[in-house]
Amino acid sequence: MNLSMVQTPPFVDIPKFINVDSVSYRFDPQRLALGNVKLTVPLGQFVCLLGPSGCGKTTLLNLIAGFLEPSEGYVFVNGQVVDGPGPDRGMVFQDYSLFPWLTVLQNIEFGPSIAGMKSSERRERAMHYLELVHLGDIADRYPTQLSGGMKQRVAIARALAAGPKVLLMDEPFAALDAMTRSRLQNELIRIHELERPTILFVTHNIDEAIRLADRVLVMSPNPGRVVSDVLIDLEKPRARTSLEFARLYDRFEGEIGLESS
Amino acid sequence: MKSVSKAPEVKFDTTRIKRFGISALGIALFFSFWHLLSVGGLVDPIMLPSPMEVFRSAGALVKTGELQDHITASLLRMALGYSIGSACGIALGVLLGRSRFLEALVGPLLQMARAIPPLALVPLIIFWFGINEGAKVSLIGWATFFPVWINTLLGVKGANPLYIRAGQSLGARRGKLLLRVVIPAALSPIFSGMRVALSISFTVLVAAELAGALAGLGYLIQTSALSFRVDNIFVGIVVLALLGFVADTLFMTILYWLFPWYRAEQTGK
Repeated sequence: MNLSMVQTPPFVDIPKFINVDSVSYRFDPQRLALGNVKLTVPLGQFVCLLGPSGCGKTTLLNLIAGFLEPSEGYVFVNGQVVDGPGPDRGMVFQDYSLFPWLTVLQNIEFGPSIAGMKSSERRERAMHYLELVHLGDIADRYPTQLSGGMKQRVAIARALAAGPKVLLMDEPFAALDAMTRSRLQNELIRIHELERPTILFVTHNIDEAIRLADRVLVMSPNPGRVVSDVLIDLEKPRARTSLEFARLYDRFEGEIGLESS
Repeated sequence: MKSVSKAPEVKFDTTRIKRFGISALGIALFFSFWHLLSVGGLVDPIMLPSPMEVFRSAGALVKTGELQDHITASLLRMALGYSIGSACGIALGVLLGRSRFLEALVGPLLQMARAIPPLALVPLIIFWFGINEGAKVSLIGWATFFPVWINTLLGVKGANPLYIRAGQSLGARRGKLLLRVVIPAALSPIFSGMRVALSISFTVLVAAELAGALAGLGYLIQTSALSFRVDNIFVGIVVLALLGFVADTLFMTILYWLFPWYRAEQTGK
């Protein structure tokens, strides 16, 4: 283990919006899936959790979402301890999780409707987010009639419409073809610039992490932990041909390769 | 986008017409075969009346109003028993699917009861309740209950955990989660169960009516046999076949109409 890879987060004064406080997680007594993870994320930051499979990045996301409970430590979101899933933490899953029994619009209205919003109001809100992902014309279709890329755009709109404080995204574009993926990455950058949600984005794709993130947390397995914490202060969208891009790519590749071998 | 989706739609229609034509041909062949068998002297026409003769006998029964009465009597029993059985099946399926305690308590009992062929209960039910409506309705309800119950149970327990997680992170909990995520997610298997139950309930209906009734299609068949009216037996059988077919078609049509997503899921359209 190379401890010199671990860097302390370079910011201090920004308020901690998400605070993962010394969290460990075990699926069973022998195997530590996450070992003593500490990290904080300020409001509005776009963070990518980057790492190979088995490094605990999805586990960490599920702990913040409240689907799992830490074996040790606490997760705080906006100053409150996470105990169970809630509408303040929106999820976008890798597999398509749209409700097939609802139309696209009804799917997006689901969160506001649970929250008790009036029907005219929530329709307006749903249409706003549907148009944000450029799908205003398919409001009345059912999810089974959509392509994979459309489904994930609707899933993003649905998560945002519930008014979450943070958007948790679990490899949302991993199942898409390269072109759709690239288009959705650009859309996500635009949405982040427009609405400024705090985003935690899990990926095993180095390129994706560098394109999207304000900050990349590189994770490594056995036990799952953060080995590198890098702020990327480059204008978006980022050209893959730039020197900085290539440097970051090599760096992350090295960190992932080094730690997993 | 629209022009792209139009082309296969037209193609689909012609294949549908073609398929419909082939089906009609099959039915026509069947009736011709039946007709030839009856008039060709291969079998005794008393034992196997020709389709024409059956049609004439049906006409006679319609004229006296007898056939309509039998159909109404049977359908009312069916509708009542089927509704009660389905409602109980869905309710118990959801309850047991959500409560480990209840599932452990009554699950094994219901699984054993499910193994009893409903027809085995006909004599007992007649012995207990006589030949009144309650006996037949409860028998149909009993037979309907099990396929609906088991499908609901499996549907609720097997509801895609992704939908549940999505529902939870959109703010749905307990009752709302159950009503708006878990039950809708289980509707597909529930519908399959109800469809199976529909055909089973026809079987049980006739069995119950054969054992004892004062009206109904089973009763028509039974009394016709006692008075050597083989033609009327066939009327009963053909009407049952038609009713079963219409009921199933109607069932799916109503489902597709009420739940357009179900159609999209089943047919991809």
